[in-house]
Amino acid sequence: MKTRKMNRIALTALLALLGAACLFPFFWMLRSSLMGNAEIYNYPPVFWPKTMRFGNYPSALTLFPFGRYFLNTMMITVPSVFGILLTSTMAAYALARIDFPFKRAMFTLVIASMLMPGTVTIIPIFKAWVAVGIPGGFIPLIFPAFLGGGAFNIFLSRQFLMGIPKDLDEAARMDGAGHVRILVQVLLPLLKPVLISVGLFAFILYWNDLLGPLIYISRNEQNTIAQGLANFRGGFGTDYKAIMAASCMAVAPAVAIYFAGQKYFIEGIVLSGLKS
Amino acid sequence: MTRAMSRNARAAYLFLTPAILGLVLYTLLPIAGIVGMSLTEWNGLVAPAFIGLGNFRELFTQDMFFFTSVVATLKFALFTVAVGTVYAFFVAILLNQRIYGRGIFRSIFFLPFIVPSIGAVIVWAWMYESNFGVFNFLLQTIGLDKVKWLGEEATATPALGLMTVWGFGNFIVIYLAGLQGIPRTYLEAVEIDGGNAWHKFRHVTLPLLSPVILFNVLTGVVSNLQVFVPAMAITKGSPNGSTLYMVYYIFRTGFQNNRFGYSAAISLVFFAFIALVTATIFLSSRKWMFYEGQ
Repeated sequence: MKTRKMNRIALTALLALLGAACLFPFFWMLRSSLMGNAEIYNYPPVFWPKTMRFGNYPSALTLFPFGRYFLNTMMITVPSVFGILLTSTMAAYALARIDFPFKRAMFTLVIASMLMPGTVTIIPIFKAWVAVGIPGGFIPLIFPAFLGGGAFNIFLSRQFLMGIPKDLDEAARMDGAGHVRILVQVLLPLLKPVLISVGLFAFILYWNDLLGPLIYISRNEQNTIAQGLANFRGGFGTDYKAIMAASCMAVAPAVAIYFAGQKYFIEGIVLSGLKS
Repeated sequence: MTRAMSRNARAAYLFLTPAILGLVLYTLLPIAGIVGMSLTEWNGLVAPAFIGLGNFRELFTQDMFFFTSVVATLKFALFTVAVGTVYAFFVAILLNQRIYGRGIFRSIFFLPFIVPSIGAVIVWAWMYESNFGVFNFLLQTIGLDKVKWLGEEATATPALGLMTVWGFGNFIVIYLAGLQGIPRTYLEAVEIDGGNAWHKFRHVTLPLLSPVILFNVLTGVVSNLQVFVPAMAITKGSPNGSTLYMVYYIFRTGFQNNRFGYSAAISLVFFAFIALVTATIFLSSRKWMFYEGQ
């Protein structure tokens, strides 16, 4: 019995060590963001600043207008998340609850396109936007979110819908409900967990995207957080305390979202990985 | 009956319209687009000029960056997915033991997954920094020499790969859920037959989780072949092309050097390359995949 407890303590200690290593980059980012110039370039490195210089944050803000970038990022992310939820749920409903010709083929197509590498097509899609007269701005970044919401999200919602008894649809149909009403009034409330998971992942995806904004957004005042941070790193390559302060600000919203919706992240991941 | 069927069919295709449009506008037409564009010389300012297979001839016979780029990308994806799979499996197995605070640990290991890659790249580049970085401090503490992590061909891709593996928290959560789903009776059966922990792992855990491993390896390889941010933000393809990953090369050729025809040709070959790698993994999986009931 005693060795069992020892085992448990030893394994927990090993995990604590690995966990500390995993958290270390977060710690290092925060620690570096609070240092003075001399201290940050000290070698051997100082592990925690003697006095915490919170003033690094306001001074980083003069070159890294977080508020503006935050708003820009939200203006892309919020409608995109909405588009993904709307159109992926619609597709999932058809694939899970309606019998129609070529259903299997449609489903196979969805699964196959999950492995489609999206970066391969950036050049012709950009040229198409130029051709229709919208060479940049937020629209080319938001628009694709309204086109099915991604194979993966369709798949996730479809799997979830398969687990809900079809009797519910039948009962509603007896009461004269059509497909839209069945989806909105009967199934949507039950879909809440998977919708939150899909929404959170979509949020993180758009929040963190760098390639899209680099292609479609050139004006500085339209920059997103990720893009602004990349430019800031490029322009002030050695002012690490300011860069670290800006990085902390850029990472904080994603971390906050994660802790707010942790349960749904984990559930979404589990659902995506295991029901395949 | 047929009327109800056709009504259903109409409804189903209406619900599927956005997804079908997406498939057409964002996959099929663009692929036709890269095929067409790849046959032209186009700087984006004047009309494209048809040059036949000229771009491909240049790609395979004159462009020394292209082959370098393919190798760099493949190295990055294979390193990342191999190390990441071992790391995620190992942590998941630890998390599945009798330990204290499983929920907290799971949150900690998952956390890096949600960090914007540009943020991860910036802080890791700072830790890899050769004069003041903390990694070199650790090396010196144990008596080794400093390394120019991102400045040497041999270490740049593994260093960026390690950073990427840090973000594999999703793999850990998936493997842990898989481990928790293994029926206890299977493991007990091995015990009754006198098997040890290794036997349990080799003959129960690994085969039962092989479909999950296949899923993770496939999605992991496809997404990591498309690595972009570290090359764009920090290394710019250096040193000596060892981090000239394909998507960055496509981006640079198209959007920075304004050679859209040529970058379409690279995109097309890259597409074929990803398909080939995916197919290889898929076919080889028949050898190591275990299907229940077989």
